[in-house]
Amino acid sequence: MIWELLQPFVEWIGNTAFGQWLGQSTDRIAWLFVMHLFGLTLLLGTTIVLSIRLLGLGLLKQQLAQLSRDVAILRTTGLVLMLISGALIFTGGAVSYFEGQWFRQKMMLLLIALLFNFTLFRKVTNAEEGRYSPTLNRITAVLALLLWFSVGISGRAIAFF
Amino acid sequence: MSLFEICQALEQTTISSIVRDSAFPYVEGAHVLGLSLSIGTVMWFDLRLLGAAMRTRPVSEVFQDLKAWMFAGFTIMFLTGGLLFSAHATKVYANGYFRVKLALLILAGVNAAIYQVTIDRRRSEWDKALVPPLAAQAAGLLSLLLWFSVVAAGRIFAYHL
Repeated sequence: MIWELLQPFVEWIGNTAFGQWLGQSTDRIAWLFVMHLFGLTLLLGTTIVLSIRLLGLGLLKQQLAQLSRDVAILRTTGLVLMLISGALIFTGGAVSYFEGQWFRQKMMLLLIALLFNFTLFRKVTNAEEGRYSPTLNRITAVLALLLWFSVGISGRAIAFF
Repeated sequence: MSLFEICQALEQTTISSIVRDSAFPYVEGAHVLGLSLSIGTVMWFDLRLLGAAMRTRPVSEVFQDLKAWMFAGFTIMFLTGGLLFSAHATKVYANGYFRVKLALLILAGVNAAIYQVTIDRRRSEWDKALVPPLAAQAAGLLSLLLWFSVVAAGRIFAYHL
């Protein structure tokens, strides 16, 4: 239902001069994908590094909150790069992307991942040592990996299925 | 046997045809998401060499903490990359962008090797330095630039196949 409400908006975006211009050149889209992959490396890379720490698999001599501060700038950069490049890639082929089941699944998962990122994940990774139980730390890490990698897998599936 | 003939022979193998005809999306997906584990972790060691992250921890400790993950990440990248190459070996072989990617990969390897046999030999002298010596910083910066260029070349070459 929400998708039907968005339909006219998507058609408008895809038909703007800017949307048409973006979609015309595979080179432009290819470079946007390069930005998308840079963002992926930063965002998923920092998710892995923080998860290693939360799961107790390594980086144990580092304070969790300190590690979070260390990776924060690049994590945010990664997220912003992904959202901007992703939005532009979408604009270059809005109507056809919008029809895809994998695209819709990716957007739902992305929404959940973002909500999770700015609530539980942020809270747990910024906490002082011992503030939360090791179990909660582990659950947070597993959820983060599952959510972000599901977003990634759905994204790849858009191109193939 | 020329390189081109080796590529032709590679394309005739069973594994090549399996990747080409059915497994391609999965192998490609693993290759893309593997960026997070390979470059996403090696990046933190590079940033430590630059004195830009985890600077209160000794360089050797950061390396020990990340070593297994970097190794796992690059193993996934080389395995999946090799499989993807085998699927369309002759076409990829002839692709100029792919050759650029390969050259950049080799440069990244050479950079790491030079670091190992030069400044890293005297690491005990600067292991705990907040900001490592210039030669180590240069190795870190070069590694970051080369790896992200490898990603860019990889994405662009896939568009020109």
